[in-house]
Amino acid sequence: MIARLLIFAAAAALVALPFFAPSHIVFLVAMIGSTSVMVAGLTIVVGFTGQISIAQASFAAIGAYGTAQLATMAGLPHWIGLPAIALVAAVVGYLFGLLSLRVADHYLALATMALCAIVQLLLIHLEDWTGGAVGLAVPPLAVGTRMLTRPTELYAVIMPCVALTVWFLHALSTSRLGRAFAALRMSEVAAAAIGIPVLHYKSLAFALSAFFGAFGGGLFALQTTYLDPAQFGILESVRLIAIAVIGGVLNPFGPLIGSAVFVLLPEAMGALGRYMSLVFSLLLLLFVVVSPQGIAGLPARLRARR
Amino acid sequence: MFGQILVSGITAGAVYALVALGFVVLHRGTRVVHFGLGDQMTMSAYLVVIAQVFLDAPFAVAILFSLVLSAGFGVAIERGVMRPLRRAPLLVMVIATLAIGAALREGLRASMGPLPWPVPFLLTPAPFTLGGLVLVPANLAVVGVALAVMLSLFVALRFTRFGRAIVAVYENPTGAAIVGISVPSVHARLWGLSSVLAAIAGILVAPLITLSPDMGTIGIKGFAAAILGGFNSLPGAIAGGILLGIAETAAGVYVSTAMKDIISYALLIGCVLLLPQGLFGRAEPRKV
Repeated sequence: MIARLLIFAAAAALVALPFFAPSHIVFLVAMIGSTSVMVAGLTIVVGFTGQISIAQASFAAIGAYGTAQLATMAGLPHWIGLPAIALVAAVVGYLFGLLSLRVADHYLALATMALCAIVQLLLIHLEDWTGGAVGLAVPPLAVGTRMLTRPTELYAVIMPCVALTVWFLHALSTSRLGRAFAALRMSEVAAAAIGIPVLHYKSLAFALSAFFGAFGGGLFALQTTYLDPAQFGILESVRLIAIAVIGGVLNPFGPLIGSAVFVLLPEAMGALGRYMSLVFSLLLLLFVVVSPQGIAGLPARLRARR
Repeated sequence: MFGQILVSGITAGAVYALVALGFVVLHRGTRVVHFGLGDQMTMSAYLVVIAQVFLDAPFAVAILFSLVLSAGFGVAIERGVMRPLRRAPLLVMVIATLAIGAALREGLRASMGPLPWPVPFLLTPAPFTLGGLVLVPANLAVVGVALAVMLSLFVALRFTRFGRAIVAVYENPTGAAIVGISVPSVHARLWGLSSVLAAIAGILVAPLITLSPDMGTIGIKGFAAAILGGFNSLPGAIAGGILLGIAETAAGVYVSTAMKDIISYALLIGCVLLLPQGLFGRAEPRKV
């Protein structure tokens, strides 16, 4: 009951925010939103399903570069291009998931890490398609003839997507699919024994993570308006994992909480900003050592919440 | 041309082989894959620079300083992070080692700056020609040191108490514990040993490429080499490293230098998917 009231209060505050807050704050909150969508994909694959993926930044890159280039090269407006590229990413994610059945644990981590490195190198070397190391300008979001570039306008586009993402995570965690994911996380062999098609469901988890990664990446691209291959490397993947873990990987609000910490803390630290990445890495380490249950095998905590 | 590829490939391969040994030495005993090992290479190279530039230490002392601190760092990881996590799921360990790597990299970037630092060569980098091959003394030193390190590793594992305890834990941790070997202390040794191997690789390779906080990405090549070699075989790790170095150099010559790294990463993925037991490893039965 209290939790529900809190959620309503927070939602009301988020709706009211653009009417009274300065545009700098509105921009930051929208940044939290787009980051949380990228992280939501990791929550599904790492949290719900218990598979490691160090390729989330690559899926974000597919979304960001894809939507930018569909608009620039094909003249496709973002509101078609972004969902379309997210679906393409989902297909790529599914195929990658199919391959990944053969490997598990640290082999999967290595394979996803190598994939991430390859995608980043391709972003740098396929200059005709990606602008190379120099980067790529993102055309603004257009509705009709109107360009949506002001922070409040982007906020109005991004935050409903965030709300949908949170709702989806919640619905997924209580659905048949979500329970199958949980079974995979606890024991693949046991899951297979009770008739869960392991290969298909693992691939679905990767497909969902790719979809949200690409969608969040596309939203992020609209906000930053300029893409740089350096933003989509292994380090960014690790950062996204850190956000997911610190936010809590079995809570639908986890990605939002983690993103809020990661976006707001550097703002608050000011001059100490260059130590932020170090602080976050240490925070991640602290979290996994002090509460390793915060990542995998969380059935107990989930049951306690019900 | 082919001879030249072989020479350059073996230089790179020797470094990859050392890193791969670092991974395999640790993984065989502890079942942990240390995703921060590449960043530990960077750290050790920086430690040499710090000792030389800020403490005015001579080269040999600087290297000793770096090796000792690196070993201590490895043991500290075992004590501080891995021991509390020993019953945690593998996913948690992977994330912990990733966090260690990221912390090192970002710590170095924040404290030493993002720009490259000059690192002294072991021997002069001026090339000379011998029988139609261009040889670089600095590169020969890399191969020589790597060979010496590998040899002494094998001697240590076979003939010293220290090494035989490690081999016993490799073969059977329970059996080793029964005959009085402290498994946790062997784990600590393995972390130290693996860190020293990475440190040597880092110090050797830093002058050849540029020493910047992001040098640790070369650790992925070490992974690839370890996987090629099967991940549970020490000679396999060395062979995997040399093979990878030659394959990569050949790809750089015959395809394009831009594609060189992409090819070696693709090789890694392909090997993981198609040949998970590597060229020299044996398949391990999976327990349910």
